[in-house]
Amino acid sequence: MTDRVILLVEDNRDDEELTLRALAKSKITNPVVVVRDGVEALDWMFRRGTHANRADHEVPQVVLLDLKLPKIDGLEVLRELRANEATKLVPVVILTSSVEEQDLVRGYGLGANSYIRKPVDFTQFVEAVRQLGLYWLVLNEPIPR
Amino acid sequence: MALTEVSIAASAFSESTTDYDELLKAITRSCARALKATCTLGLFDETGVMITPVAAFDADPRVVEVFAPMLHRPRRYDESLVGQLSPATGNAFLPAFDLTTLGPRIAPDTFRFLSDIGVSGFITITMRVRGENLGILSVLQHDRSRPPLDEFDREIANHLANLAGFALANARLFRRAQQELAGRLSAEQVSEQLRESESRAVEANLFLDAVLENIPAMVFVKEAAQLSFVRFNRAGEELLGIPRMEMIGKTDFDFFPTSEAEFFVAKDRETLRNRHMVDIPEEPIQTASGERWLHTRKVPVVDDRGEPRYLVGISHDITDLKRDMAALERARDHAERANAELEAFSYSVAHDLRTPLRAIDGFSQALLEDFADRLDETGQGYLTRVRGAAQRMAMLIDDLLKLSRVTRAQLNRQTVDLGDLFRAIVTALQRDAPAREVEVAATGDLVTRADPKLLSIALDNLLGNAWKFTARAPVARIALSAEDRDGERVYCLADNGVGFDMAYSHKLFGVFNRLHTDQDFPGTGVGLATVHRIISRHGGRVWALGEVGKGAKFCFTLGDTRGP
Repeated sequence: MTDRVILLVEDNRDDEELTLRALAKSKITNPVVVVRDGVEALDWMFRRGTHANRADHEVPQVVLLDLKLPKIDGLEVLRELRANEATKLVPVVILTSSVEEQDLVRGYGLGANSYIRKPVDFTQFVEAVRQLGLYWLVLNEPIPR
Repeated sequence: MALTEVSIAASAFSESTTDYDELLKAITRSCARALKATCTLGLFDETGVMITPVAAFDADPRVVEVFAPMLHRPRRYDESLVGQLSPATGNAFLPAFDLTTLGPRIAPDTFRFLSDIGVSGFITITMRVRGENLGILSVLQHDRSRPPLDEFDREIANHLANLAGFALANARLFRRAQQELAGRLSAEQVSEQLRESESRAVEANLFLDAVLENIPAMVFVKEAAQLSFVRFNRAGEELLGIPRMEMIGKTDFDFFPTSEAEFFVAKDRETLRNRHMVDIPEEPIQTASGERWLHTRKVPVVDDRGEPRYLVGISHDITDLKRDMAALERARDHAERANAELEAFSYSVAHDLRTPLRAIDGFSQALLEDFADRLDETGQGYLTRVRGAAQRMAMLIDDLLKLSRVTRAQLNRQTVDLGDLFRAIVTALQRDAPAREVEVAATGDLVTRADPKLLSIALDNLLGNAWKFTARAPVARIALSAEDRDGERVYCLADNGVGFDMAYSHKLFGVFNRLHTDQDFPGTGVGLATVHRIISRHGGRVWALGEVGKGAKFCFTLGDTRGP
């Protein structure tokens, strides 16, 4: 059985690099697909636009979603995912700098599975990603394909 | 000319012997015509202490109108014009007269009347008949286009007063005789009752006048038929910048732009038609000092048959209130916009400033991990410092965000037990530092009304400090207490930690102000600023007491706990 993909929605190249590094350090081997704005995230999920010709029909095992994104922001992406039959059950972990109460409330309100604030301390960040990977990729039983 | 008037007067007086009221009018009318001035007549009571104005006449009906409120209202003789100027003889002649020379004891309404008509000279003569002082005839000149009163005028006035005195005495005799005939038995009772009801009416009138003239609202009375002004108070004169002399007898159309006057009159008619009070919350009015806004109530006054006779209007000048309300509205809009901007700014700080810090920290760590073999100890040390600095900056940003959140948060007072908050925070601190041994105590009445969220943040900061600064004490002690001082509940959190020098106490509550180095005790210097802001938001005060090596004590109040 091949590992299912992780979809990382992240516009900042530094954060992308650090997240990938943290995933690698946590021995998470799932392939990671990186998309860099809200539109691309939805295109990939719904196989349209630039991702219309995506070969597989794969649904990611988990979506790591930043909130502040170009074009369409993270909360809007989440709303669309939850509104669509094919994607409404995909685990979505909000991974963001913001710890504003309004973002937390709206994130959970729209059906986020988890909300993690990216710590500045990289050591803590690696630990957060490790636990996240352990839970969503190992412990959590995904919905059957 | 004047002499002709005197002879006409003489016959008029004798004809009026049987009609007392008509006689009183005839006296002043003849006098006013003969001397081209205002004439007033006052009668003494039996004791000679009080004098009552009973009639006034002037060719200009407005003058009579202005004098009307003084009629039938007894006043002390020594507060009258002649009582002030020549009380002994009761006679005075001042062809050129300045009101300002009058003493302060003159009756206020007399003074007002004299000033309203602009009196420039006068003659007063006491009417004596058979040794009895009956009353006073006053000639008041106010027409400045006429020559001043002279000896001839005085002679005529004397003559008239003489005639009038005798006519009055005769009329009184006649009246008394009639009354005696009408009912000997009840005469005394009737006159007693009359006196009583008269004095009650006089009292009520005096009272009303005092209220009307001193109330800080414009009060006007219009007669119901033509809606012309019949009464107008001082506040009204001041508001419109028009003396009542000019108002009386005229209508709104004589003073205001047509559209305004039409509005006023329409409201008047509505009030009179419905026989019901009409409230006009806002109406503009043109005055001598520009446009003003009024809140007006109009009330109909009906007679005993229910027919409207008068309209009473009461107006408050709400121009300043309206202006202040508008300014307040603008200030609130401005504050709301500023708040929204601050909100956006804080959000961006939270998100955007942290991202580069994460890169600095993360890639420094990556260097340490992946390139350790190419970096000596000094190089590695520098990278560790870069990381430390990035993390510290992240902490500062977080604390500043908390501070701004405290400022923005809505204050929501509820019943809250500071003892509960205290114990919860201690439990959390103890969990993070299980090895620490700290004696804690919370005493006194700690239940109050405050914002639980904000107060929890404040206590968290204060307790966090106490916890931190007692780290080196052999037996750490932290105590929260409440006591009443000067009618105010004061809460204090005391510890036996390292304390501080009171010389720097003023710096404690500023943002980024610290009394310890980061090496000694880590911190960002935002915590006490946050506490200060939370307590201020509650309308309370916070202050600190301390001594180096002896511990610190932070006390605060929570303002009016009944407030929102």
